[in-house]
Amino acid sequence: MRSLLSFLPLLIPSALVSATEYHEQLNLRPLPLSALLASFNFRANTSIADFEAQNFRLFPRSLGQILQYAGTRELHLRFTLGRWDAESWGTRPWDGTREGGTGVELWAWLDAETDEEADEKWLTLTNALSGLFCASLNFIDGTRTIRPVVSFQPEGDHPNTTLANTRLLHGVLPHEVVCTENLTPFLKMLPCKGKAGIASLLDGHKLFDASFQSMAIDVRPICPSEGECVLQLEQTVDMVLDVDRSKRPHDNPIPRPPPGHDLICDTTKPYHKPDDACYPIDHLRGQDWTLSQIFGRTMKGTCPLTDAEVPPVCVHLPSTRDLFASQGAHEIRYPNNDSLRCYHIDQDSEFTLVLTKSEFPTEGGPLGIVKPETPVLYAERSFTGHGQEHGGVQAILTNPGDDSVEFVYMESLPWFMRVYLHTLSARISASSPNTNSSADLIKEIYYRPALDRARGTQLELLLSIPPRCTVFLTYDFERSILRYTEYPPDANRGFDVAAAVITTLEPKAMNIRTTSLLLYLPTPDFSMPYNVIIFTSTTVALAFGGIYNIIVRRMVGANEVPRTAMKDKVLAFIQKLKKKKSAVVAAAAAGGKASIEPVSGTSEAK
Amino acid sequence: MPRLLSTALSLRRDPRLLRIPPYVSAFCIAIGVVWLLLLPLDDYSRRTYVSENALLPGQVHTYFGGSEQHIFRAFRHEVDLLADKNNYEVNDKLESILTGFGVKVGRQNYTYHSAGQKYTGENVYGILQAPRGDATEAIVLVAAWKSIDEQLNRNGIALVLTLARYFKRWSLWSKDIILLLPPDSTTGTQAWVDAYHDAHDSKHVSPLPLKSGALQGAIAIDYPHEQRYHELHIIYDGTNGQLPNLDLINSIVNIAGGQMGIETTVQQMTGHTDSYQDRLQTMLRGMLYQGLGYPTGPHSSFIPYHVDAITLQPTGEGWHDEMAMGRVVEGSFRSLNNLLEHLHQSFFFYLLMQKNRFVSIGTYLPSAMLLAANFTIMAIFLWVKSGQPTVKDVDSAKEKNDGMEHKGDAAQASWNPLAVERNLLSPLTFVAICHSISAIPLFVFNHLGLNTLPLAFLIFSVASTVLPAIFSFAAASLQKSTLQYFQLTKSFSLLILGVSLATLSTLNFSLAFLVGLLASPLTFIRPTNSVATRGIFAMLLIITSPPIVILTTAWTSGVTLTEVLKAASLGWNVWGMYTPIVIWCMWWPAWLVGMTNTLSPISKA
Repeated sequence: MRSLLSFLPLLIPSALVSATEYHEQLNLRPLPLSALLASFNFRANTSIADFEAQNFRLFPRSLGQILQYAGTRELHLRFTLGRWDAESWGTRPWDGTREGGTGVELWAWLDAETDEEADEKWLTLTNALSGLFCASLNFIDGTRTIRPVVSFQPEGDHPNTTLANTRLLHGVLPHEVVCTENLTPFLKMLPCKGKAGIASLLDGHKLFDASFQSMAIDVRPICPSEGECVLQLEQTVDMVLDVDRSKRPHDNPIPRPPPGHDLICDTTKPYHKPDDACYPIDHLRGQDWTLSQIFGRTMKGTCPLTDAEVPPVCVHLPSTRDLFASQGAHEIRYPNNDSLRCYHIDQDSEFTLVLTKSEFPTEGGPLGIVKPETPVLYAERSFTGHGQEHGGVQAILTNPGDDSVEFVYMESLPWFMRVYLHTLSARISASSPNTNSSADLIKEIYYRPALDRARGTQLELLLSIPPRCTVFLTYDFERSILRYTEYPPDANRGFDVAAAVITTLEPKAMNIRTTSLLLYLPTPDFSMPYNVIIFTSTTVALAFGGIYNIIVRRMVGANEVPRTAMKDKVLAFIQKLKKKKSAVVAAAAAGGKASIEPVSGTSEAK
Repeated sequence: MPRLLSTALSLRRDPRLLRIPPYVSAFCIAIGVVWLLLLPLDDYSRRTYVSENALLPGQVHTYFGGSEQHIFRAFRHEVDLLADKNNYEVNDKLESILTGFGVKVGRQNYTYHSAGQKYTGENVYGILQAPRGDATEAIVLVAAWKSIDEQLNRNGIALVLTLARYFKRWSLWSKDIILLLPPDSTTGTQAWVDAYHDAHDSKHVSPLPLKSGALQGAIAIDYPHEQRYHELHIIYDGTNGQLPNLDLINSIVNIAGGQMGIETTVQQMTGHTDSYQDRLQTMLRGMLYQGLGYPTGPHSSFIPYHVDAITLQPTGEGWHDEMAMGRVVEGSFRSLNNLLEHLHQSFFFYLLMQKNRFVSIGTYLPSAMLLAANFTIMAIFLWVKSGQPTVKDVDSAKEKNDGMEHKGDAAQASWNPLAVERNLLSPLTFVAICHSISAIPLFVFNHLGLNTLPLAFLIFSVASTVLPAIFSFAAASLQKSTLQYFQLTKSFSLLILGVSLATLSTLNFSLAFLVGLLASPLTFIRPTNSVATRGIFAMLLIITSPPIVILTTAWTSGVTLTEVLKAASLGWNVWGMYTPIVIWCMWWPAWLVGMTNTLSPISKA
């Protein structure tokens, strides 16, 4: 178990969960160059009976009530920023199951007999979550919602009878910028509210300065083989910090060039001369940091509610490297995994870790870190072509391993990107060892075409890539012209296309998301019509207002105004009504002759 | 009002009306040229301004400097060590330096064939991923190993490497930064940009192993200059005369001038005094480069893909150093980084008079349009005239009698409303033949090897001069060449020329203007039986014939004919330059028709 997920077995298996419990854990893993993965995990359980009786203790009431109201069986919400650099950082944390595409991603199983009912509940859910998490989740409308068929499977234990009556809906907002306002509600849901325990390290400044960060909320029912079912709320924050960047002081974050004598130079170069020429080799220097440096604050004890069995902080480092913890903490080493060390911490003492500089050469390469594991699959996606009419999408999927990889590739595309499905093709790159099996790469296709302005395209492909092969998956599309009111204010920016979701089935289940794309649509020159509209509107408004005022308004002195103007008007109105009535009566009696009378009557009344 | 109308209608039938068009044509040409000469005046040109608010040029502090200079010097030593190495060895070293910073590096091989020569190389490029970005947008920093003048771009390469290391430390980038280091300033970037947009010919150019998002802008550094420099030369002409958004140039001028105190200059106009002459000279130089449509630097290849790009070239002797150059690039990248939308606010069609003075398309377009209109007016006039033999009678009567017996009334009386049938087949066939043989020079000059090119061109020049004589002889022997035949051939030929030039002027104003001006004698030549007039016409046409103009231009600008032909062929084969089409398929057939008409003896009707 040298996997990045080797910390998982430490978390107590679900078979042993008691009805109500909470635990949290922070895993630190130095990555190549100056990157450091910090993976926070908070898990709270509540029994289904308590949940249904609205008896909330560790489960946040705000979220619980939303789930009950919207009939949500299982919920997954992701806030992600940045991209995971799989080539240098290796496998994703949690095998990619706790991250979303850039922006916000939400999928949930809702209790619904029909699709209409599901849509209704989905609307309720997105709107309620939008308020709770300060995110524009309410913009997940019909055009951004899909119903995945094979990509997502329920993670919780659902009885087959309930599962038959649930609907899975998936929505994504690629353009949503995740920021501090999303972190605050996230922290509020924790039992210790970010005041104690590992959550006290979560600082918005550091979190959103990270090269990659993903916040995940998962709610799922867990039914152990014995004992009662529990509802589990799992909150996860994964962030890849740049150590050099994080270590800069808070009040002086500008990366000014360091003084000349602080540069780390390669002195073996013939031209090396202090204060003249310096070939930098600082990238060969390993990481050294303290916990308080990289998170900007120290860790304030542990959360009193947490399970004492679970060590709150674990670090993945070669066993030879020195790591010092503050007093009161005691280190645990695991015999089956020598690159892992965990720390138990006193409840009230402040905790910090100090990683000292490694001395060359150490175990685990010159950088003194645990070598990241190669992922099962690399995925990269980009647009091809140019111009504003047609385009293409190319996904490059590389299988670096010795086993063939089977996976589901899912795209949720906006309706204005009209996919030509007949152009969909998968081919093995010429440089791959076995190029003759291109024909049966795509095993199955689930395709739900888009409807203009109503729903987007849903495309799910079941693919299989032979070992050590690169596959190019391409399809063409047409860019449609929008109505001019449908363009956003920053029309020339382009439109975001959500990340493709890859769910591997073989050799092991994991998730990969590609980066999102920016799609240029044919954009009219808004400046001219907009200027015309704005200028004419302004002119008309100014001129009309003034002229109308001059024509209509009559200036009278205050003493000239009849005192009971209002009363007179009311009386005149009543009189008018009376006359009209009598006129109608008279007209009925004397034929059409009397029709003039009410007119003259009103003029008299004036 | 009705009287006015009836006067106008009766005037329509006045044959005197038919004498006006040639004067209108001449007037159009004169106005077109004068219009252009007026543009540099203050009343017609405007000061530039930054239109895109997001750019905020020069509003940020730039910190590049200090100990970065030590690193710069080290990288320059590294570049010196690589000076004699081949492309692959150079790229190996560059790749190792870039990967050291944590930049993702890709390589791309390409081979182009043009004029029998092989242009091959390997691009190396790095993608500095935006720390919190998502690979949706990117900006490009280019430094070609060989500068525009084929020197080692020693400072440019070192500066890009130093900047890459410096940029890596900042977390504020919203777009990926692509560092492109092609082996030369001409073919390398083209191969890379083509492959980035999947528009490459996969037989010669390999695809890119790494990609980022949509390109938002590109800045190339051309810095072989060894001493401290005085000013920054901004090169902005793209392939086929396409230009980058004016906001990009404005921002650089603003950052270099306002923030760094570095003078900027355009079109090699060092010491621009802002006088009328200097402005006109700048504009004409700009028009010449635009008209040639030839790429002027490594940035040129980006512009056809709607990626705004410029090349910065330090020139002159002064006191600014590499760090100042680095700060200009830093400031520009910070500005581009601010962009929320693709550059679209400012002008894409403009003529620069100075770094901060320009004319926009609305102001300059009429001059080229008037030149194009002169051909169309003449074509319509000839079409009308060819159907009215009475007018011809009047004209011939005038010619014969050398005086007018009956003016006005008599002319009106001789007006014959019954138009003569136009014989369209032979004129149309002749014009079609002239246009179809224009494919020959286009093909020959773009496919011949470098050894045979100058010879082929000379043979073609001679052939092109002799061909009209053969044509006129053949036409005369095949049929009786009437005046109507000449009028119709000229009408069709000028009609095509006028329409094509008017269209071209919206795409490449300068090319349309230059071709329009050089082809303007075609409007006025006509078949005549006077040997002296014919000789004068023929001489005028030979002087303004496409081959002679090319030879003269090459001779006056001190470039050998071989180089011109090689460049033209390279432009066609690598950059998709359409100037050869304009010259050989638009201008040359029109000239051929005109010359044939001049040489043909007119047979008495």
